[in-house]
Order: sequence, then C-alpha cells, then structure tokens
Amino acid sequence: MRSRRSPFSWLLEKEARELFASRSWWVMLLVIGPLVGVSFISAVRTYAEASGLNGTAAGVGEAFSPLVGVWAPTFSACEIAAAFLLPFVAIRLVSGDRQSGALKLELQHPMTALARISAKALVLLGAWLAAIAAPLLAVVLWRAYGGSLYGPELWTILAGHILNAGLTVALAAATASLAEHPSTAAILTLTVTVGTWIVNFIAAVQGGVWDRIAAYTPTAMVAQFQHGLVRLDVVLIALTFVGAGLAIAATWMRLGVAIRRRASESFAVAALAGALVTACTFVTPSWDWSENRMNSFPEADEATLKQIHGPLRIEAHLAPEDPRRADLERRALSKLRRAMPRVQVDYVSATSIGLFEQTSAHYGEIWYELNGKRAMTRATTADSVLETIYDLAGVNPPPETDDVFRGHPLAVPPKGAAAVFYGIWPALVVAAAFFVRRRSV
Amino acid sequence: MIQISHLAKRYGHVTALGDVSFSIRPGEVLGLIGPNGSGKTTLFECLAGVLPADGGVVLRNGQPLPVHDRSSAFFYLPDGIAPWPQQKVRWVLEFAKGFFEGRPRGPAEAGHYVQTFDLEPLLDARIGELSKGQRKRVLLVLGLLTPAPVLLADEPFDGLDLKQTREIGAALRSFARDGRTLFLSIHQIGDAARFCDRFVLLSGGHVCGEGTLDEITRRAETVRHARTDNLEDAFLALT
Repeated sequence: MRSRRSPFSWLLEKEARELFASRSWWVMLLVIGPLVGVSFISAVRTYAEASGLNGTAAGVGEAFSPLVGVWAPTFSACEIAAAFLLPFVAIRLVSGDRQSGALKLELQHPMTALARISAKALVLLGAWLAAIAAPLLAVVLWRAYGGSLYGPELWTILAGHILNAGLTVALAAATASLAEHPSTAAILTLTVTVGTWIVNFIAAVQGGVWDRIAAYTPTAMVAQFQHGLVRLDVVLIALTFVGAGLAIAATWMRLGVAIRRRASESFAVAALAGALVTACTFVTPSWDWSENRMNSFPEADEATLKQIHGPLRIEAHLAPEDPRRADLERRALSKLRRAMPRVQVDYVSATSIGLFEQTSAHYGEIWYELNGKRAMTRATTADSVLETIYDLAGVNPPPETDDVFRGHPLAVPPKGAAAVFYGIWPALVVAAAFFVRRRSV
Repeated sequence: MIQISHLAKRYGHVTALGDVSFSIRPGEVLGLIGPNGSGKTTLFECLAGVLPADGGVVLRNGQPLPVHDRSSAFFYLPDGIAPWPQQKVRWVLEFAKGFFEGRPRGPAEAGHYVQTFDLEPLLDARIGELSKGQRKRVLLVLGLLTPAPVLLADEPFDGLDLKQTREIGAALRSFARDGRTLFLSIHQIGDAARFCDRFVLLSGGHVCGEGTLDEITRRAETVRHARTDNLEDAFLALT
C-alpha cells in the first residue's frame, strides 16, 4: 500500500500523467527546438557578421548587446510557441476531463474548483519550463562559443516568457472550461490572441488611448522584457489577468452549479479584474535590467532629472505612424517617464500617417513646458530632449563621462547549433516521448 | 435513510424531472427503471451534484443534504464514459482509492474487487483500449473503492454478457449485504427484477411507482384491473 497522500497530490500526479499522455505537449516540445534553432542560428550569424567589422565603437554598442542581438530573437520562438502551441496543450488538459467524462467523477470529490484548476496550472507551468529548456540550450551554446552573458537580463527575458505563458494558460483554461468542445476553445483563444494583435495595430495607427491599452498586450509585455525592462504595472496587470482567467476556468468547471450563477460569478471576477487593472495602471516603479541600460538615460542624467520637480508637459505634433514619433518615444520619452514621475506627453495630429500634414506650419514641433516656461525643438534624439529640459529647468547638464557600453562583439559562427536543434533535440524528445508514454502511462 | 423530495429539472421548455420524490434505504439495492428519456441519468446527476437541479431537496436522516456535501452520501458512475483513457487500469484504481480517500482497505479487499470483477488480466491495459463491458467493470470497482455509502450506477449491466451480468449482479448484492447501498439505473427490466430489492419507476420525469416487486405489481393490478405477476407488465401498466 502507498503511504497516505493528499487528494491534491493525487490530482497533481493525474494531471502530470495526462500531460505525458498528451500528444500536443510532445509536439510542442518537438517543434520548439527547431524554432529556437532557426532564431538562434540566424541571430548568431548576424551578430558574428556585425562583430566581424573589428569590434564596435561608442554609439553603436547597443547593436552588440547579446540581449538585443541574440536573446530577444532566440526567445521569440517561445512567443510563437506560447501563441500557437501552448494553448492546445492547455486546452487538451482542461477539456480532456470533460470530453472523457472524468470531470463528472472528479467533481464528486469535495475539493474546491480553484484547487482543481491550480493543479492543472502547476502542471502546465512545468510543461512550459520543460519547453524553455530549448532556448536555455542556446544559452549553453553561446557560452561555449565564448559569448558574454549578463544574468539579470537573461532572467528578465525568462520571466517575461513565463509570464506570457501564464497568460496563455489562463486564457486557454478559461475558454476550455467555458466551451463545450475543445475546438471552440481553440478558436476563442486564438481570437483573443489575434484581437490583441489588432489592438497593437490600431494603436500604431490611431495612437491615443489605444497606445495605452496596447502597452499591456502580451506582445508589448514580452517586448519590454526582451529589452530588459520590468514594469511593475505590467507585471501586476498580467498577474491579474492570469488570476482572473484561472478563476473563470474554475467557475465553469463546477458543472453542478447553475449556469446563471456561474455567469454572474464570472462577471464579478471580470469586474474585479477590471478594477484591479485600472488601479495597476497608476503603479509606476520599473527596473531596467539590461546591461547597456537601454531603457534608461545615463545615471548622471537620471540624477539631474530627479532634481527637477515641476510637472513637465510635452506636446509633440507628430502623427502615430510618423517614424520620428517612434524615435522620440523609444529614445527619449520612455526613458523620461521612468526618470521623471511627473511627465505628461500629448501627441497632436490630424491624421494617422502625417504625410499630408507635413506642410502644416506646426507639424513636427515638440513643445516642452516646465514651470511656466516653454520651449520648442524638432529634434527627437535623447540628447536634444535632455538639453531642452535642462534649459527650461535652468540646471546644468551633468558632465559627459566615458562610461559608455561598448558591447560584446563575438565573431564566431553558430557551430554545432544546427545539430543540436535540428537533430539532437528532436531525437531526444521523440525518445523521451516513447519512453515516458510506454513506462508511466 | 435518504429522502428525495420534489426534485425538479428543466432543460429550457422540456421537463426532465418534475416533482420527483422517493426514498433510498440503507443497504438496499434500489432499481431505477424507466424508458429512454425518462430522466434516469438526469436524476442521478442531480443527486450527485454534477448537474444543478431547479428545485427539490435531498434529506439524509431528515437533515437537508446540500449539493456541496452530496459526495459524503453518493458516488455516481455515469454511463458511456471512458475517463482518463490513456491511463492504465491499475493506476486508475489506485487513483480512485487515493483521490477519493477511500476507507483504509488492505490490498486483500481491493484485490477482492479486482478478482470478483475479473479485472486481473486488464490491470495493465489502458482505459481507452477496453471494451464497453470491460470499462463498465472497471468503473464499478472504482465506485466501490470510494467511501460514499450510496453508489449510483447508470446502466451497470450495459455492455456485459449474460454470464457477467449474473455474476456481477450477484457480487453487487453481496456488497449491499455488507452495508453498501446501491441505486442502479437499469433499462433491462428482467435484470432489475433479478437483482433489486425495491424499484423506482420513472416515466416522463415523474415517479409512477415505488416499492418492492409485490407492492408494484399490486398497484399495477389496481390500475389494470387484471392480474399482474411480473415487473414488465407492472411497468407497462404504470407508465
């Protein structure tokens, strides 16, 4: 006889066994290797070609950051897997019980629905961590090539992809629990995923409030983590969505509860999540874990900006699709918002592309207003933005330092990577699938 | 004693159960008899709490038994399911024992069920590979391994051959003698008459008879004004 175990541990074992029995998980594992391989090999080749120009110089060092040059593209394979493969694994695990009739048996244990869905979520988290072994193999290869690794940025990118997977799992679990059939759940999940892409597209075209909403889509969240940026508001909002998705999944697993009550409980969860998300948008702390501080101004500038207390208002006459606006946002304003808490940025434009506004007298102007003083420039570089702000505030710019990130050039080909990702990984996955399914299932 | 009182369930405009009342006595084998679509499965699912009822109450020893506590009284074995199809029978039975926190039993008792239901040759087969009858036997053992005092089995003999039906029916009766209450939904009236102590006749979502074979046939005679000496005739007279 086995020693007495808790029902939850039995459920956890059952979910793990169901995962091992699920072809969708093995297919995801099989596919993620070559996906990572394509991205990694192509990134390392490009990195090597750029590094082959005898190193780098200050100012273009960012190009030689492994975070942007190698890890962001390599881990982007995880984003594809999370969007197109992981939902099927999650739906299989949640819908399978309903389809086979096992749910009706399991529901007769007085365990809470939240505990049931937690068991599934924990096993799916484990499943995702196993899949993430593929990009971690790329890290091992990179080290073997003599590449530089900066732990904090690697952990950040990993955390971003785990959080993104959490969102996918929560969404898929909720749809699988809501829908009668797995195919309906898959359609609903992919609809939401495509919906977030549409939000990103509208934001790029329309700007305004769409821009703010788009900052919290999974794509935008992953992009921030891939740049070494951790924003507390984004993390909290993602966790709220994960919690809400799992709570809705748990609600709809309770087949013995009237549909009307389940619907009203789901609306309550959605309303609570909406309130929490709104509250989280006011949370400002963020951390830049990139080695080259790509999301921050130099430390001396940040210290100077912290001394400027007045609210700063910036009015940029640039259309959403104008590349100068993207430049201004990426190079200066996103960093400024992190350094100065009281910054208000307003974009003014009559069209989305700005092409027909070029002849307008004020188009392209960027107005700064601080302590009643106003100044205007058309430049979108970080230096010009800082210079204008220092002028308005009447503070001296900090002295320039030589402390510039010069990057980590590495001119080596991705030796052995093809064999690892296109040969060894798939072979290992197939062998493991054969062994595990035969032995434990 | 479990009393089911005025249980009702509707699917939109269709009444699946209308004002269903009857009782379940400890240690009996109670047969639920009714034609297809009479509401047998709906009744079991409402009792087990896996389907919400629209009205009615379940009392245990006179006290209401709320839905969230139904598992302390009932364990329901649905018909036509193949739970955890990729798992082996051996593990499924272990899981049932562990997950549902079955009464501590020695391997001998668990082994007794396996032997009685002739599962030994199937222990290393996957649930999904079993025939309907084999699956039925596994599910019956699964139900018997749970601690619930009342086992609700939907069509327990469906898919079994005549020999198996008789053997398993006899085994179920012996488990009932040991204190387990069995409530079996059976559409083969002959089987029901052979194995059950009492019967609940269900037709169109309504109880049209409850009692022992004698009580039901007597009631049928008053309806038919003719001699009725078997359950089939009584069932036809009352439904």
